[in-house]
This record gives sequence, structure tokens and C-alpha cells, in this order.
Amino acid sequence: MSAHTTSMRDALYEAPGPRTRRLTAILTIVSLVLVCIGLALVVRQFYVTGQLDAKYWAFFAQWSTWAYLLEGFLGTLVVAVTAAGISLVLGVVLMLGRTSPIMPISVVSRVIIDFFRGVPSLLLIYFFFLGLPTIGLYLPPFWMITIPVSLAASGVLAEVFRAGVNAVPKGQTEAALSIGLTPGKTMFKIVLPQALRIVIPSLISQLVVVVKDTTVAYVVSYPDLMQNGRVLITTHDSVVSVYLVTAIIYILVNFAINQLSIAMARRSGNPIISRTTENPT
Amino acid sequence: MGIAEILQKYGQNYAMAIFETLSMTLLCFVIAMGISIVVTVMRVSPIKPLRLVGDLYVQIFRNIPGVALLVLVAYALPNIRIVLPWKTCVEVTVVLLASAFGSENFMTGINAIGVGQIEAARSIGLTFTKTMQKIVIPQALRSAVLPMTNLLIATMLTTALGSQVPLNPQELTGLVSYITTDSTGLGILPFMISAVCYAGFSFLLGLLGNHIDKKVRVLR
Repeated sequence: MSAHTTSMRDALYEAPGPRTRRLTAILTIVSLVLVCIGLALVVRQFYVTGQLDAKYWAFFAQWSTWAYLLEGFLGTLVVAVTAAGISLVLGVVLMLGRTSPIMPISVVSRVIIDFFRGVPSLLLIYFFFLGLPTIGLYLPPFWMITIPVSLAASGVLAEVFRAGVNAVPKGQTEAALSIGLTPGKTMFKIVLPQALRIVIPSLISQLVVVVKDTTVAYVVSYPDLMQNGRVLITTHDSVVSVYLVTAIIYILVNFAINQLSIAMARRSGNPIISRTTENPT
Repeated sequence: MGIAEILQKYGQNYAMAIFETLSMTLLCFVIAMGISIVVTVMRVSPIKPLRLVGDLYVQIFRNIPGVALLVLVAYALPNIRIVLPWKTCVEVTVVLLASAFGSENFMTGINAIGVGQIEAARSIGLTFTKTMQKIVIPQALRSAVLPMTNLLIATMLTTALGSQVPLNPQELTGLVSYITTDSTGLGILPFMISAVCYAGFSFLLGLLGNHIDKKVRVLR
């Protein structure tokens, strides 16, 4: 294979001979036809069930529809950004606790981290929505969605930060301690700033998880993109088109965040640490 | 009401919910693994349309929020005359989401092997099938243990989507919202029981995955 092969997918195959090339061409055409047939069947199913009728799509030509969705999107954005901010702080605090030399603090932090990583965010949201009111604690809808989303994210972020701290060369800590910095100063002035730089791509990719978690905001009737979509459905009596459009908006937003994080990772050379790559225990 | 009374009144519901959550998790994970292998093969195949479909599949389902997908499957599909039972809706949603991440894990595993090994395999005369069989697949599987453990845990957490549709019997998250509305004055205990179940299973699965990973890990 040529020297400028970059991806594994291409390296797997040898330069094809005439027979392989012909076979590949035939299979390409066959699969293309199959994909087209599949697409046609989907469109046909939409057509015969009347879902392509103008009444289901016409209101997307009105600016008011998009303004309403945009308003919901802003709601999503406010929750996501607030939750991201809170979880960043909580994540650092939990990571510091987990790496603390004081045994009880480290154990407690570890239990908290494992708890928030091991519990579905939906359960946390129900806890704040249904659980806390039973003991007389009522929060505004905004916080009923934002706090659980932050808590769920903070557990994962703590582990991401820990991986970042571990990635800072040990010599840095040793050098800092040997010039007389206290362990606290070493952490905050030397290790943490470098660790933060290392985990920036990972933090951006965690934003996707936060955005996804905010979609449950309708449980607490907070007007986010999903909730406003549901309102549109009742006013226009159109389930399929509205849910499809909202889903596509979410996909595009999350895709953009993911691409940004991949680009940052490539530029800085730091890998993306996520729930799937971190150590589970 | 204390924990003893709750367990006396709802103990059986909890047992059934635990079974629901775990069985749904296992079923979805196994199917998702199968699909993610197929999707990964499509993505590394030399046939362009298949690659495109595979990439598109992964990008769609790793970026769509679970709830947005569930409402599409459960409430939009009936409008184009595809009516599934509630439980199947949840399972289809979880499988679609998990398989996208599963394929990403396999791709990461394959990419980690490095082009050099393939070139080495070819230069000692191994055929494509032998290269796959002896070099690529064993290493990709081994390095996928840890990510797949995390995916299994994530799959379990995703089955909590079942609380958004009427299931019977309910899974662990739906059960809590049912209990809290069924009888008042229980406080936060019902939540804690479910949460401890989830966190406990996550912890155990994590331990198991770590154990297997230590045995089969490829040191680079």
C-alpha cells in the first residue's frame, strides 16, 4: 500500500486487481440500488399514510414556528450551559476529593462519583421532581432539570479530570514540591492548569451528554426545545413532522459539538476521554 | 414509613423491576453487539455506499437524545402505520443508541492496531482473511473489553427511558415514579432503593469488566 495511507479502513485492503475492482464496482452499484429502494420505501410509507400532506409541513414555512422552536432551543442552551458550569466546578471538587491523601475524603468522594455515574439521569430528575417535594422541598422547574443534569455530568467529569491529572508528567509534581511549593499550591498552580488543557476536548464532548440529558425537561414542564416541540404538536396536530424536525436539530447540534471536540483533540494531540474510554471502577 | 414497610408493600414490584431492567439490558446489549458488528463491517468495507450508510447510522444514533428517539419510535411511527408494543419501542430505542456507540468502540479498537501491523502482516504473506482473523479481530476484541463494559453499563442506564412509556411490569425508574404517586409520605426512600440498585449493578459490572480487561489487555 502507498505510504500516504492514513486510515486503517484503507490499509486493510491491498491495491485491488482488475477482478476485485470489477467486483467492488458491481457490489457498489447493487448496494446503491438497495439503499435507494430502502429510501423509496420509507418515502412511500410516509406518502401512503398521508404524512407528506402539506398541512403537516406548511407551518414550517412560517417564521413564528421557527421563532417558537428557537425560543425552546435557547431554553435548552441556558439549562445546558448552567449545568455544564456547575458540573465543571463539582467535577473538579470531586476529583480533588478522590485524589486526596486523606482516606475518608477520598472514599466518600469515590462513592459519590460512582453513585452519580451509575444512576440514570432520568432517575435523578424524578428525584428532584417527585422525590424532594415529598419532603417539602419545592424547586423552580429550571433547577429541577438543571441540578440533576449537573450531578449526573459531574461524576463523569470528575473521572475525566482525574485522567487529565494523571496525564501530567510526574516530574512536574516532583519539581514543584522540590522548589518548596506546598502540595496544595502544586495542584492548583502546576498540575491542574496543565490537566485542564489536556481535557478540553473531552469536556467539549461531554457537553453532548449534557445537551441530551436536558431533553427530559418536559417532565418538569420547563420550556426547552423538546417541550416547545410538544406544544407545536398539539397546536398543529402533527406528530411526525415536528418530532422529526426536533430530532434533526438535536442531531445537528450534537454533531457540531462532537466535530468541534474531535478538531480540538486533533489540534492539541490530546485524546478524548469519555464515559466509554475511562476505567469503569 | 421506613424501608421495611416499603419493601413489604412494594418488595415484589422492586424484584420484578430489577428483573425487567436487567433482562432488557442484556437483551438490548446482545442485539446491539450484533448490529454494531454488522455496521462496523459496513464501515470498513471497500463499498462506498455501505460505508456511507454505516457512518450515517452511527452519526445519527450517537447524536440523537434518547428521549427524542423514543418519542419518534413510540409516538411518530404509529402515524406511518408501524405500531410496536410499548416495551418493544423502548428496546428498539436502546438497541439503536447502543449499537452506534458499539460500532464506535469497535472502530476505535481497529484504529488502535495501527497501519504498521497490517503492512507487516501483508509483507509476511498473510492473506486478507488471515490478517483479519489473526491480527485485526483478536486485538480489536481485546481492546474493546473496557469500552464495551462501559457500554453495557450505559445500556442499563438507558433502559430508564422505559419510564417514559406505560410498561407493565415497570423497570426500576418507572416503578419509582409509580410508587411515589401511588402512596404519599414515603419521602425519598423509594428513589434511594432504585438508585442503590443501579449504582450497585454498575459497580459490579465495572469490576467484572476490569477483571476481564486485565487478563486480555494488549499492552502497547
